[in-house]
Amino acid sequence: MIAHRHLRRAAGGSFLALALAAPGAVFAEQPKPGGSLTFGVTTEPACFNPQRSEQQNSFIVIRNFVDSLVAKNADGRFLPWLATSWTISPDGKTYDFKLRDDVTFHDGEKFDAEALKFNFDFIKEPANTNAAGQLLLAYEKSEVLSPTELRVTLKRPDSALLEAFSSIRLGILSPKALKSGDRLCSGGPALAGTGPFVFQSYTRGQSVQLKRNEAYRWAPGYAAHQGPAYLDTATIRFLPEYSVRAGALSSDQVDVIEGVQPIDVALFKGQPGFQFLVGPSGAQTSFTFNINYTIPPADDVRVRRALRDGGDIAGLVQGVYLGTVRRAWSNIGPENPFYNKALEGSWGNDPKKANAILDEAGWTGRDAEGFRIKDGKRLTIEVGYPQPFVRDNRDVLIQGLQAQLRKNLGFDLKLRIITAGEWAQQREKATWTIYPNTFLPADAAQELQSNIGEQGFIRAAAAKGDKELFRLINAALAATDVEEKKQLVDAAQKRAVDEAFIVPLFSANYQLAAKDTVRGLSFEAQLDSPSSLHDVWLASR
Amino acid sequence: MSARPLLRRVAARLATSILVAWGSVTTAFVALHALPGKIEDILAGDLEYPGLREAIAAEWGLDRSLPEQYVDFVARIASCDFGVSYVLRQPVVEIVGSQVWPTVQLAAAAGALALVLAVLAATLTAGRGPLARGVASTVELVCASAPVFWIGILLLMAFSFTLRWFPVSGAQNWKSLVLPAVALALPTAGLLAQVLREAMEKTLEQPFIVTARARGLGETLIRVRHVLRHAALPAVTLGGWMIGGLLGGAVITEKVFGRPGLGAVTLNAVLTHDVPVVLAVVLLAAFIHVAASTLLDVVYLAIDPRLRAQ
Repeated sequence: MIAHRHLRRAAGGSFLALALAAPGAVFAEQPKPGGSLTFGVTTEPACFNPQRSEQQNSFIVIRNFVDSLVAKNADGRFLPWLATSWTISPDGKTYDFKLRDDVTFHDGEKFDAEALKFNFDFIKEPANTNAAGQLLLAYEKSEVLSPTELRVTLKRPDSALLEAFSSIRLGILSPKALKSGDRLCSGGPALAGTGPFVFQSYTRGQSVQLKRNEAYRWAPGYAAHQGPAYLDTATIRFLPEYSVRAGALSSDQVDVIEGVQPIDVALFKGQPGFQFLVGPSGAQTSFTFNINYTIPPADDVRVRRALRDGGDIAGLVQGVYLGTVRRAWSNIGPENPFYNKALEGSWGNDPKKANAILDEAGWTGRDAEGFRIKDGKRLTIEVGYPQPFVRDNRDVLIQGLQAQLRKNLGFDLKLRIITAGEWAQQREKATWTIYPNTFLPADAAQELQSNIGEQGFIRAAAAKGDKELFRLINAALAATDVEEKKQLVDAAQKRAVDEAFIVPLFSANYQLAAKDTVRGLSFEAQLDSPSSLHDVWLASR
Repeated sequence: MSARPLLRRVAARLATSILVAWGSVTTAFVALHALPGKIEDILAGDLEYPGLREAIAAEWGLDRSLPEQYVDFVARIASCDFGVSYVLRQPVVEIVGSQVWPTVQLAAAAGALALVLAVLAATLTAGRGPLARGVASTVELVCASAPVFWIGILLLMAFSFTLRWFPVSGAQNWKSLVLPAVALALPTAGLLAQVLREAMEKTLEQPFIVTARARGLGETLIRVRHVLRHAALPAVTLGGWMIGGLLGGAVITEKVFGRPGLGAVTLNAVLTHDVPVVLAVVLLAAFIHVAASTLLDVVYLAIDPRLRAQ
């Protein structure tokens, strides 16, 4: 009940989690400025420069000192941030942004159209080797119309552009900082953004110190309050070990932690003195098997459907994650406004039918180990899982599915942990067979394109790919109308699941556990991960 | 014995160690090229964006022949140039250099603690009644076989989460060094104590101990002055192994306790596939091993007259 009021207050605000243990009498209180907070996180960012980092977990830290041009709301709408308004030309190729005139970077430089143009041109320039360049593939140029007006021209319509501008990866940094060279990755005050906190210092292997930006008057459209952050200072501590983070919170050494392993949830959820918050699964894709359907035996839709329906994915996900995540029905996350809800319940867990279609496909023989054979060849497909991406028991989940498919169908699903180099090679030649992945937050159409579209993992064999799927995704990316885009993205998801080009497994989410005196914690819709600490304040016990 | 043969032996030992170091550089080079996939992809780690691979290929001179690349690689390492980490965007030497001190602190504290614990345990229990020895050797066995990781978590649970005597993480002051040092010291201490006690027990049976007793020396004096000194040789041999153990253990300890240091850098580098950093750490570890074992060999020569006489 309390959680509902919380949600309503945040309606049109950042995604406020389903607060599971909100303590009583929260709402009589006024947010109180002051104090400092310690936040224990799982991952030490390899690079603090948002335009270079590709580590999803780095953005939890970076969001505190970097703002974006526009803000993405939980309902998918785009709200003002550093831009107060914008117009899009009917052909979808020209964007005119009006900018705030009161924004300064942490190094004292003024934010204006010139600074914004510098950022985009800097990111776009290949010599600067910025990862965020991927988001500006359609970008042609910017023109400064006035200090508060910028015109962005595209080579082709790109329905993912506002999403890109709301992404922290296109976060705006001081041109002076960008010109200073490569050292921005190691953070510190030199990494000057416009965010609610100033990056004070970084101790490698230990922590980041943040200090309130007193000048801050430009919170994103979804923020719960305008004006400077409440906290005086914040410390972000890197505590990579699950049990150590949980212990540090329960012994009062940190105030908030991110990343709670399933068996530790009970320590905080519903416990006096603590709160436990679950974030949305919308910005990232769900953990999904992408199947290379150009290589036998997976070129036969019956084999793919048998693989999709032969196991009890819901049961496996429950067994591994103890109810902390949901099984997936599509590769697009369930809280994404472009999620195709109609797919729920439309597939999966039907070993009887899976067996029947495998018989029909001619896989009728059995070898000594009980696996199905056809023309003397075993029914086998390999899952090549690149080692750097193996985490939170995902390999265990795959092994569970492997056991079920073997038992239920006589289907030999092999799991092999491969190197990143081998994966790059397989992708280059389209020799991969099943690639399990979760994609970084992006626009839904962009996610489909990067995963299963013409430019996706199957790129090298795109000539043999599914033309209808490619058509839907390309059209969705070029669509200038939201309704039209939604229909196309829905259709593409449906085709991918019906044809079993993908087998979605589960939708990951972020979790926060905190002392109950910490108020205003939320998650950012564009990232799924915890928002900046701008709205966070400390109540007295 | 004159100094010249001794010098010659030391020189020969140094030459061998340079050879071993060169071997490890060569192995690193071969391993890098033997990995599946292109070198650019391997060095770039998980990163993928326009221009990066070209930049790496240019920096590593990947268009040249393998022998040329090899000579360049060895020359670069010899001049202490480990290249640039593409993930962290910093010269590798700076990254590793800035993290050496916390690890040295941790390893030195743990090493010293292990030594004190082992000497105390061995001196107090060698040749004593079965109960004392039984208890001591059981504790040592548990310590020597328990993973550092597990010891670390247990220590944290007891002294940080429950008693709240020590902080969970960081390297701010001496307090934050205590638990990691103990966690890292215990397995080493366990093994060292076992070896030391066995050596001491053998020594206690030697005729010169009987002689010493006959001279009327007290038990403590015998143990500390005669037995311990005599039994130290096998323990010194273990010193080389200890350094390896402490370095390896530091990786895990630093992760568990959220401490900065080489271990944390290595672990992050492995997780983000930051091969230039991994390469540098591997080579650094190899050089430390070589240096330590060379030093120990020289120490042997200095403390054991029999070796010099050969």
